[in-house]
Amino acid sequence: MSSIAEFQKKVKHSHQLRITNYGDSSDEGLVNMSSYSGVVEYYPEELVITLKAGTVIKEINKELAKNNQAFPFFIGNPEQTIGSLYATSGAELSDSVLGVQIVNGKGELLNFGGQVMKNVAGYDVSRLLVGSMGKLAIITQISFKILPEKAAQNFQQEAPIKNKENSLRLIYEAKLKKVFDPYGVFI
Amino acid sequence: MSIISKLTKALPKNSVISGEENTRPYECDGLSVYKQKPLAVALPSTVDQIKKVLEICKKNNTPVVTRGAGTGLSGGALPLKDSVVLGLSRLTRILSIDPEAQTAIVEPGVRNIAISEAVEEYGLYYAPDPSSQIACTIGGNVAENSGGVHCLKYGLTVQNLEAVKILTIDGEELLLSRQDEGMGLLALMTGSEGLLGVISEITVKLTRKPQQAKLIMAGFDSVRDCANTVAAIIKIGVIPAGLEMMDQFAIEASEAFAQAGYPLDAKALLLCELDGSEELVEDDLNKVMGILSKATSVRVSENEEERLLFWKGRKSAFPAVGRLSPDYYCMDGTIPKRHLGDVLEKINDLSKHYCLRVANVFHAGDGNLHPLILYDAGKPGELEKTEAFGMDILKLCVEVGGSITGEHGVGVEKLDAMCHQYSAAELDVFHQIKAAFDPRELLNPGKAVPTLHRCAELGNMHVHHGKLPHPELERF
Repeated sequence: MSSIAEFQKKVKHSHQLRITNYGDSSDEGLVNMSSYSGVVEYYPEELVITLKAGTVIKEINKELAKNNQAFPFFIGNPEQTIGSLYATSGAELSDSVLGVQIVNGKGELLNFGGQVMKNVAGYDVSRLLVGSMGKLAIITQISFKILPEKAAQNFQQEAPIKNKENSLRLIYEAKLKKVFDPYGVFI
Repeated sequence: MSIISKLTKALPKNSVISGEENTRPYECDGLSVYKQKPLAVALPSTVDQIKKVLEICKKNNTPVVTRGAGTGLSGGALPLKDSVVLGLSRLTRILSIDPEAQTAIVEPGVRNIAISEAVEEYGLYYAPDPSSQIACTIGGNVAENSGGVHCLKYGLTVQNLEAVKILTIDGEELLLSRQDEGMGLLALMTGSEGLLGVISEITVKLTRKPQQAKLIMAGFDSVRDCANTVAAIIKIGVIPAGLEMMDQFAIEASEAFAQAGYPLDAKALLLCELDGSEELVEDDLNKVMGILSKATSVRVSENEEERLLFWKGRKSAFPAVGRLSPDYYCMDGTIPKRHLGDVLEKINDLSKHYCLRVANVFHAGDGNLHPLILYDAGKPGELEKTEAFGMDILKLCVEVGGSITGEHGVGVEKLDAMCHQYSAAELDVFHQIKAAFDPRELLNPGKAVPTLHRCAELGNMHVHHGKLPHPELERF
């Protein structure tokens, strides 16, 4: 799929969807993000890049390297898409997230955060959705703070082992799932 | 039994304040144009006592407004008439310091600067430095996701937290850590303005003190030259610890107040602080000096005393401007830096239109503008005119892709401005997040997120492609 309208249509007309990076359009239960890719905007002098979620990290790294810049977080597999890294990471990545565009479980296109370093208007949804495993919304576009290569290196250590979920957290995660995906479309 | 008696019975002596005169110190926060006395103020000293207050308020269906030092600038801690203010300023213990891991566990009422003072012996400090740092509490910093002048390099509060403990309205203790699997609940809680839970314990990250810091002060003939230099510094790969800009009016006011040696003939002033190892500072200094060709004057601090003097002008800019006018109104919009020149020009046009003077100080490194609008609340209609001017500035910030608030929060002050930044569907998500944690709306209700009706009433609803979202909603 390669347009927001297609994502919205698919969400509105589906009962259950799995967000992936594979599968063709005939696969009714899948949303394939891999063709929704590319750099939307990149301002090296502002340390900001906005990317479509299906963009492969290796490709982004090439763009950033042209300006001696880099992502300030650990990247285990550069063949991964930026959307899948976002969906499976934690605070070490969300520290650099500035904004997201999503299609929620009702098929609404929503924007949270933006391209600025400081933004405390409204709850921090663009960082809340980091690590949400594609269960809350289709992440279509993400804006990141980037850094000069040398400065970025200080932040590129591998994240420590994660704490296991506890039951109270899970209760609140389930409630938040309902906020974004009230009909339980994303599985 | 009244709620005041219940609280008095449940808490130690001298922990509950009530009555017209006694609650007066709590009637407002740092934004004193909004005032309201609460039913009572509860001042617990332990987490167990906070739980008792929450339990009593919940049973009584009484709203709770959590408050730190009351230094907030958006009315976030403004009491509601029928509310209990939950003041956490007595929870001031530093529970532990781990110099190896560079963390400290503290209670919410610990002052920001007190953390840095407590860990100084280890060569560490707590990096975020809002200008109220001698008074503001760390709990308030977490609730507001406070910033400061060093955010570009060291981050806001959210990047400097290891974990927080939250008490939900049901009195459950929710521990949220950077290391958690799953969604970013720690980030969600940071900056939630007291609407989702009560922050009861914080583990902060500590930063090693830099070996050296040097401050470059450069004057320019035009704001644009200065703004272009900001972009150029970032482009050559330098991340300054602080990168601040002031316009001519702000330079004049600060110099008259602080005598920091600012160039009074400059139209714009750039302050660029470089820190780190001696080698790195030297290296960065050379790079930055190489691109200051447009500057009309350049000085580099030669010692610590001079560095602090150069900063003194900037750090006293607000009171300095305050001397020139009976009142001033501080804005907090953020913009992508490439629009800086245009936005400042438009602010000047607006200043002429409203016949109100404005001084601009600007966290240039991270795009955070603080225009100070000078007015006289004693003149009829001038406060309203000032607020209209402020709203135009915030609309401008949103139009160029920025935000209505970079670090001060929405509180009650920017509820209307929120209608410009977010669509009805986005605001609805915020309301539902609130409901997920606090369905009866007892925690700081009515703050931070405007109702959809409020936005519709204003006629300010964010309109996409000429269509009003949710046409099915009643608007009155």
